[in-house]
Amino acid sequence: MSVREWFALIAFASSVLFGSAGLVGMFRFPDPYSRMQAGGLCGTTAVFSAFIGALILAPNAAIAARVVVIMVFFLVSAPTGSYIVARFTWQSGTPVWKPLAKTKRLSRKKEPT
Amino acid sequence: MRAEKKWGFIRFMLTTLFLYALWLLFTASIEPYSLIFGAVGSLLIAALTYNIFIARHQANLRYIIPNPFHLVLYIVILVFFLYQSSIHMVRAVFTGKASPRIVHFRTRLKSDIARMVLANSITITPGTITLDLNDDHLTVHWFFCDTSHAKLAGEKVKGRMERFIGNIWS
Amino acid sequence: MTSLLLHYMQWFLIICAVVCIIRLLVGPTAADRLVALNILSGVALAFLVVRGVAQERVLYLDVALVYDIFGFLGFLAIARFLKDKISDGEEM
Repeated sequence: MSVREWFALIAFASSVLFGSAGLVGMFRFPDPYSRMQAGGLCGTTAVFSAFIGALILAPNAAIAARVVVIMVFFLVSAPTGSYIVARFTWQSGTPVWKPLAKTKRLSRKKEPT
Repeated sequence: MRAEKKWGFIRFMLTTLFLYALWLLFTASIEPYSLIFGAVGSLLIAALTYNIFIARHQANLRYIIPNPFHLVLYIVILVFFLYQSSIHMVRAVFTGKASPRIVHFRTRLKSDIARMVLANSITITPGTITLDLNDDHLTVHWFFCDTSHAKLAGEKVKGRMERFIGNIWS
Repeated sequence: MTSLLLHYMQWFLIICAVVCIIRLLVGPTAADRLVALNILSGVALAFLVVRGVAQERVLYLDVALVYDIFGFLGFLAIARFLKDKISDGEEM
């Protein structure tokens, strides 16, 4: 194994770690917001790690340049997609899950400033 | 009236340049046909959409044009933040310790683009999601909330990012 | 070794996509389904890139670039459609 492959292995291993943690979290948490937070691990960090691994293993400059452009645009497009989903969830009035809820009063209440 | 016309022309040219740079980046070819077609296309699209692309009330060039050095630096820092908060989130997924809550706070960034970048940076780091952005008022779902004080919460969520973004569109 | 790494990564991404599809089918509310769809689009993007590097073909990466830029337009349409449905008072 060359040095390049070791680095790619590290990137792919972190992708597997974050991806599986995100999938576990997506099934473990009970409300859409928390699922979105955990799913962000799989949908953003794991994908980004896979890009880094692919960039390290890129066979020629044309492929590497395209992967870099995809990475930069992914940093813009990924939060835009999650923002659209989050805004839809918020505007349809989904309440927020609270693990040790003392009161029944949930979201939509402004914090005292 | 003259100043407004001039400002409109500047906005039109900036939109054209931005579109043409994207065209060159995506086609990645220097054939004359491709270059001319891209120029005509970006001029046409800019003429139709420059009013939407850069709003008229953004009456300052520094609010639109980023500082290139700080922009590249911020992309690297953003990747670092991404991994840092991902590790927190992995720990929370396996231990199940969490205190999700919705917090409201204000930002002191003036430019529209900078606010958009701040909201996107908050969303991309696992653990915080922007639910709504209304002028300078952000509504954020925070997964590790440990305070009920709005200003303190805002400082903990956005403080480190806001400082860097303020340098880009100062 | 390089091809082996890329091969296993593709299989992992396929498994991720299958789990996301399970969530998509199970998800009790529309918001849950949209979250799963959002993650599925990211995983599909990563799969396109890793496959493009494994096959050494630029075409996959061009497709991935366009999918990256215009991927969220689909969510915009779906979210707008569901919001209209809710405001009309129909059940999701």
